[in-house]
Amino acid sequence: MSTFFAPALVLLFQEATAGRADVMLHSVKNPDLSKFLVIGALLFVIGVAGVLTRRNIIVIFMSIELILNAANLNFIAFSRYLQDTGNVNAVAGQVFTVFVIVVAAAEAAIGLGIVIALYRNKETIWIDEIDLLKW
Amino acid sequence: MVLSGWEAVFFWVFAIAAIFAGLLTVMARNAVHSALFLISSLLAVAALFVLLGAEFIAGVQILVYVGGVMVLFLFVIMLVNVGAEERGGQVLNKPRQVTVSMVFCLLLVLGLLFAINVGYKGLQTRDEKAIASAQALRQGQQQDLHRGATRTSRITTDTERVGNSLYRFASLPFEIASVLLLVAIIGSVMLARTLKQEAAVDDLAPDVVAAEAARDPELAETPPIS
Amino acid sequence: MHRYIWLIPLLPLAGAAINGLLGRKFRFSEKLIGSIAVGTIALSFLLSLAAVYSYGFSNNSIWPKPYVTSEDGAFSFTWIPGGAVHITAGAAERSQQETERLSRESQPGTPAAPPDEHAAEPARGALLNVEWSYQLDALSSIFILVVTGVGLCIFVFATGYMHGDPGFYRFFAYMGLFMFSMLVLVMGSNFLMMFVGWEGVGLCSYLLIGYYFSKKEAGDASRKAFITNRIGDFGFALAIFGVIATFGTTQYTDVFTQAKGYPLELLGHWGILSWIALGLFIGACGKSAQLPLHVWLPDAMAGPTPVSALIHAATMVTAGLYMVTRTNVIFQHSRTMMLVVALVGAATAIFAATIAITQNDIKKVLAYSTVSQLGFMFMACGVGAFVIGIFHVMTHAFFKALMFLGAGSVIHGMHHEQDMRRMGGLRKYMPYTYMTFLAGWLAICGIIPFSGFWSKDEILWNAASTSVIPYGWLVWLVGTIAATCTAFYMTRLMALTFWGNYRGDKDAQGHGHADAGHGHGAHTPHESPPSMWIPLAVLAVLATVGGLVGIGPAFKSLTGSEHPGGRLNIVNYLDPIIWNAQTGEFGKSHEGGEEAHGAESAATSSPTEHTEGGTPSASLPHAPAASHTLTLAETSAEALGSHTAAEWLFIVISLVVATFGILLGMLFYVRRPELPDIWARRLKPLYEASYNKYWVDEFYGLTVTRRVMDAARIVFTFDSKVVDGAVNGSAWLTKLSSKLTGATDKYFVDGLVNAIAAFIMRLMSPLLRAAQTGFTQNYALVMVLGLVAAVALFFAGDILSAVKSIFASVWVFSFWS
Repeated sequence: MSTFFAPALVLLFQEATAGRADVMLHSVKNPDLSKFLVIGALLFVIGVAGVLTRRNIIVIFMSIELILNAANLNFIAFSRYLQDTGNVNAVAGQVFTVFVIVVAAAEAAIGLGIVIALYRNKETIWIDEIDLLKW
Repeated sequence: MVLSGWEAVFFWVFAIAAIFAGLLTVMARNAVHSALFLISSLLAVAALFVLLGAEFIAGVQILVYVGGVMVLFLFVIMLVNVGAEERGGQVLNKPRQVTVSMVFCLLLVLGLLFAINVGYKGLQTRDEKAIASAQALRQGQQQDLHRGATRTSRITTDTERVGNSLYRFASLPFEIASVLLLVAIIGSVMLARTLKQEAAVDDLAPDVVAAEAARDPELAETPPIS
Repeated sequence: MHRYIWLIPLLPLAGAAINGLLGRKFRFSEKLIGSIAVGTIALSFLLSLAAVYSYGFSNNSIWPKPYVTSEDGAFSFTWIPGGAVHITAGAAERSQQETERLSRESQPGTPAAPPDEHAAEPARGALLNVEWSYQLDALSSIFILVVTGVGLCIFVFATGYMHGDPGFYRFFAYMGLFMFSMLVLVMGSNFLMMFVGWEGVGLCSYLLIGYYFSKKEAGDASRKAFITNRIGDFGFALAIFGVIATFGTTQYTDVFTQAKGYPLELLGHWGILSWIALGLFIGACGKSAQLPLHVWLPDAMAGPTPVSALIHAATMVTAGLYMVTRTNVIFQHSRTMMLVVALVGAATAIFAATIAITQNDIKKVLAYSTVSQLGFMFMACGVGAFVIGIFHVMTHAFFKALMFLGAGSVIHGMHHEQDMRRMGGLRKYMPYTYMTFLAGWLAICGIIPFSGFWSKDEILWNAASTSVIPYGWLVWLVGTIAATCTAFYMTRLMALTFWGNYRGDKDAQGHGHADAGHGHGAHTPHESPPSMWIPLAVLAVLATVGGLVGIGPAFKSLTGSEHPGGRLNIVNYLDPIIWNAQTGEFGKSHEGGEEAHGAESAATSSPTEHTEGGTPSASLPHAPAASHTLTLAETSAEALGSHTAAEWLFIVISLVVATFGILLGMLFYVRRPELPDIWARRLKPLYEASYNKYWVDEFYGLTVTRRVMDAARIVFTFDSKVVDGAVNGSAWLTKLSSKLTGATDKYFVDGLVNAIAAFIMRLMSPLLRAAQTGFTQNYALVMVLGLVAAVALFFAGDILSAVKSIFASVWVFSFWS
């Protein structure tokens, strides 16, 4: 099997990277908008994974904050990019970020209020123990 | 908006830090650790904001997000979470849920990266000329900025621009956001009241008071305010 | 003035409406009701007088032309507008007449016939327009005078007779309605209006006979009257249909103009006009109580006496006569029907007269007398003397109404005792009633110069001398015998009621006033109040002198002409409406039409639209004598030597038989009162037959009534068993099928549905339930799945091309190893 696939993979890598190593190095040395977007995407996915995986309600909330943060990063990166390319509405990204932060704060407040009320009633912070909607 | 030189270095440092902190947030066993790691992630992202030239937003992030929201988180963790892990309890969900989540997250990340790849290529082809002239533009802009008091750096116009937009073109959303915050405050206060507090302001139905008073004798003694 | 004849029927109707609708509601007093009723009739009478004078006797009189109110727009209402009617009937007759005419022309000796314009017209479509308009001509003028005049007397009488009755207003409302219907009947200008009036008087007869509706016999009698009338109406309606089909119109003027031109239907030939005449005569039989349909009239005496006087003596029963005389054209065209009419009339006359001999109720005697006199009138019409029939109608109205009112006065005075056996000697107690009744008695017996003599004598003379039908002598003989019986039973009535000694309440006289519960006030009979005997007096005067308008030809030597008085003589006056078979035109109906006196000159102007001036040499076939045997009159004329002598002979014969009847009656009931019982025993079968009215009612009951009820019972059984059985059976079947389908639905269909639903539920429920975990992160997972799908979809094309390129390169490079 490996004799079958290995040369293919090597050739793939060669094909993929032929002449591209310089480009890649250059892009690493001079990070561009795309890098920011990738960072944002990664943070986003990490947040999603946290939401889906953890049992602690508070940690889930914090993962949601991560998601929001990743979105903010995206906004700011694009705002800067648009500034540079001459778009007049470039500052809209930053303005939107402000609002995202506001909403995140409000949501965190309410959410944590709910958590406290929930804790008072059920004495638990594990999310899989709060399943009243189960059939 | 290509970063170069030391800015690139700092970019990579803070980027890796943010991702790392984020990972640890999700993976930490202790909730307080999670909160602290989140704080550091937020700080790293704020630094990235500065690198992107959005200083005001960076400040707002640190003040509001870290200083307000995360502190609130820590308070609530202290209120409800202390000892939860000690009493035992798994960090992660059931294995099936975790595996499926991982699969989806993998797919999601692949999709997002692919999307960014394709989209960025398209963006580049569209804005070639603009990108080329952006550099020269930026250089020119940099020269026009005022110098700071210590004459080492220049005062950027970012805050000025954001303020202009926020209070002129986006004033309506601004007002709505303030109302939203008001509602959130009132809501959270209401949600987090104890029974005693509710009885004190006569916000409970009499039968509920009676039912609770059977369990909690102190409640019956609390006189209503009116 | 004759333009206002439309008011004549309207006034009684208005009076009836006011009395009927408002009389009870506003509690009119008897005086008010009476004055409204009498007032409207009096107004009608005065209007009739004025109209008839203006029509017939004034300076611009229209007589003999009939006056129809639609002619100058005085009153006309299009009742039934338009409708095409294709005339088909009579076409064969018309063509037959043409061929006859042509064949006669080819015979030697007959003069060349000028083309006859008023002969057959080809069959054509026509619009049937029926209008509501009134016609004033000689016939209707006599009738309106008689109806309103005698009606006025009777109304006045009724205000006294019905005094104290709680239904006073109702009585006069019905009477007013009757007057309206009768006047529409006689004044209508077409057959349909006559039919409306016909039915109306039938209805009012029903209402009035059954006036005392709480008595069973009144209800039975009114129903009998109405149903018997109805049987006659059926024939009449068929005749009207025939008229419409044959002539295309119902207006008298048009129908008779057309009917003139039809060929004569001799004895034994039966054509369309005979059919129509048959239908009309059946109607007349029903209305005028002729032989098979006479049964209702005696029973109708259950109504109040003024009703009997008005309806069953003077007016309603004469409607049949009016109709026959009005359509005399049609009857005269049908010789067979004339014979039928004469024979039926004669049979009825003798039949009823023999029954009246033995009856004990005063009103029943008068009722049978009416039937008998009506028979006389139809006899007159049957032998061709239509005018004399109408003359007898008039005189009969006078003396019969007089006698009925007199009987009413007697009954009133006797406190509603009607049996003659308990009366007697009333001439002492009720002098006015007696004297007026005397006049009526003499009139009906036919004693000269009272009115009855003139008309009855003429009838008998015409029966003897008729050339229209054979067997005239038989009709004369039967009529003479009936006249004898009439005199006999009327004398009997007089004797039992007025002569002799008072036989009433003999038992009660001994008791004194102890039996107050009988309801008799005073025991002695008393005279009626003036409101009752004054009309009697008026009618008595009329009964005495009323006949002078019809002095006959026998008195030519005394009076100077066959029918003296010109237009005032009823025979001359009515002449224009009688069709003359000799000339084919109206007028000159008396034989030997060569008189050229003033009356005739007026009659020469043809009343019809075809102004041909009836020349004797018309192209129509001459009306041949029904047979070539000589009539009785001709025989006696030969024997005696002159026509006049024969007439005088017959007058003498009728006077002799009348006197004989009177003397016989006096013998039996005044001189030797034991004779009636002796003879009744000797002739027991005849007596029983007469007393039981020849068992006609029982016969009808057995054959007709009971059989109809049996049929009704059969039909009812059929309906209840078969039809209802079928309905119930189908209902039962429906219930059964519904039960079956219900069971099928419940067990089979619902079972299937439940099974399928249960199967699906068992299958899917755990699967679907599994989605509801209550675990928030599961829901979040689904959201992320959606996000992934969205991203993938958005970039689907690019993803696919990238994958393809990867696999392409892999595939290509795999060959290198």
